[in-house]
Amino acid sequence: MTMAQTLDQVFGAPPIASGLFDVDASGAPFLMGGHCEQCDRYVFPYSESCPACLSGMKHVRLGGEGVIYSHTTVRTKPPYGLPQPYSVAFIDLNDAPLRIFALLDHSMAGGFRIGDRVKLKVGVIGHDGEGDPRARGYFTLKDSR
Amino acid sequence: MAAAYIIGASTTAFGPQPEKSIVSLGRDAALAALSDAGVDSASVNMGFFANVFGPLLFGDTTIGQDVFGAIGVQRAPIINIENACTSGSSAFHLAVQAIEADAADIVVVVGAEKMCVPTLGLVGGGQSDYASRNGMAAPVGFAMRAARHMHEFGTTLQQFAAVTVKSRAFAAKNPLAQFRKPTNVEEVLAGPMIADPLTRAQCCPIADGASAIVVASEKAARANGARAVRVNASVLTSGESVSAPDIVRWGTDIRTCALAYEKAGVGPDDVDVAECHDAFSISEILHYEALGFCAAGEGGRFVESGASAPGGRKPVNPSGGLLSRGHPVAATGVAQISEIVLHLRGEAGARQTPDAKVGVAQCMGGDKDGDTKSCTVVVLSR
Repeated sequence: MTMAQTLDQVFGAPPIASGLFDVDASGAPFLMGGHCEQCDRYVFPYSESCPACLSGMKHVRLGGEGVIYSHTTVRTKPPYGLPQPYSVAFIDLNDAPLRIFALLDHSMAGGFRIGDRVKLKVGVIGHDGEGDPRARGYFTLKDSR
Repeated sequence: MAAAYIIGASTTAFGPQPEKSIVSLGRDAALAALSDAGVDSASVNMGFFANVFGPLLFGDTTIGQDVFGAIGVQRAPIINIENACTSGSSAFHLAVQAIEADAADIVVVVGAEKMCVPTLGLVGGGQSDYASRNGMAAPVGFAMRAARHMHEFGTTLQQFAAVTVKSRAFAAKNPLAQFRKPTNVEEVLAGPMIADPLTRAQCCPIADGASAIVVASEKAARANGARAVRVNASVLTSGESVSAPDIVRWGTDIRTCALAYEKAGVGPDDVDVAECHDAFSISEILHYEALGFCAAGEGGRFVESGASAPGGRKPVNPSGGLLSRGHPVAATGVAQISEIVLHLRGEAGARQTPDAKVGVAQCMGGDKDGDTKSCTVVVLSR
């Protein structure tokens, strides 16, 4: 992000939690997580200490691309003001050995398949539980169908 | 290590019970279990009470002393337990440990829950949890397991629906179950979609209800005669954070079942009847595989074959399970064990498993990083 802008300004609302994602100089979002330099373990979201060896973890970029391992579309009343319906997935990240849970692009909810290549976007989606809008990361198709 | 026995068990009806409080539900179950055991409250050395939603829905905390106080158990140590869906079976686990450690002769376990209030939405992990704040909730993780199971093993929508059909067929024989009307595959699949591919009838209903068990030492069980049921194994484990969990070969489930079998000295072929945590249709399919009733990936074809249905060679969830009996969260783990007790005693009525000698109760609770938070497996025999 640019020096003059906070993440709130870039994304239009405060992130749902700090340290989950950021944007590079070109404005492309990427995920942030933890890396343990002692045992080469990655975690998402970031954790201060490595769950395996308890060393301090470094806050690192995890990239913004991956492949859908499994997914679902939730059609019942959503929590946190999320769209109805909304889709979610477990995504295998390209740049770190991690399978993470994440939102999918609700504008094409129900249109995803296992094996789809996806990329991260960030938008104002839902609220914080108290009704205040929040920016959340979500994945959309990398290639058009 | 001393041996532990179950000498009393009782479960209330499950379903909306607006006139009942958590305490009155727990009291009803506990009094009936004591009466079933033929012991009075003065002989109770220790109590474990399980509840999950009291603090969230009613602001009620440390309810165990109120329940045990209401059945005349005063001064004895009472411990309150919350461990998600395994709260009740975790309480049971601690009761068994107390008996095995020779710290008590008679320990009462009570699980009681009241969930049927309008303010309860999708059950998730809470506001501090990344996944919950991004749309994870109870059906979501299981729906993704179902999608992956279809992808890897060719499991069909009809096979998922067969779990519910089988569940209702058993529940029709259980007067305490919440959903007792028989159904069929077409009807299950035609219902509203909750999270693809799980329709509403493939998701367990919330409920109010309670269940209680009296656990006893060998000495105290002697008076109970042939009705006493032996606890061959009670295992409680936790899940783990793995960077890329395999959600259809469930490590924690498989490991916990294997540990319980090893401890009990039995294998899947020895099991006459089982209760498992069928919170969703896919859950039961995964638990068949973890319990070793069929090979990995074969769970869908196993239920379709009728093997786990009434009259099948491996009856599973004869109570109707979570899908039909209902799921008052902290009562469930106790109710599953109580159901197995009935079959081992030959007291399960219309749903009795013929000549049941060995039974298993499997339970899981909570979501964390693609794994469960807790898992319990209990092996019982007569």
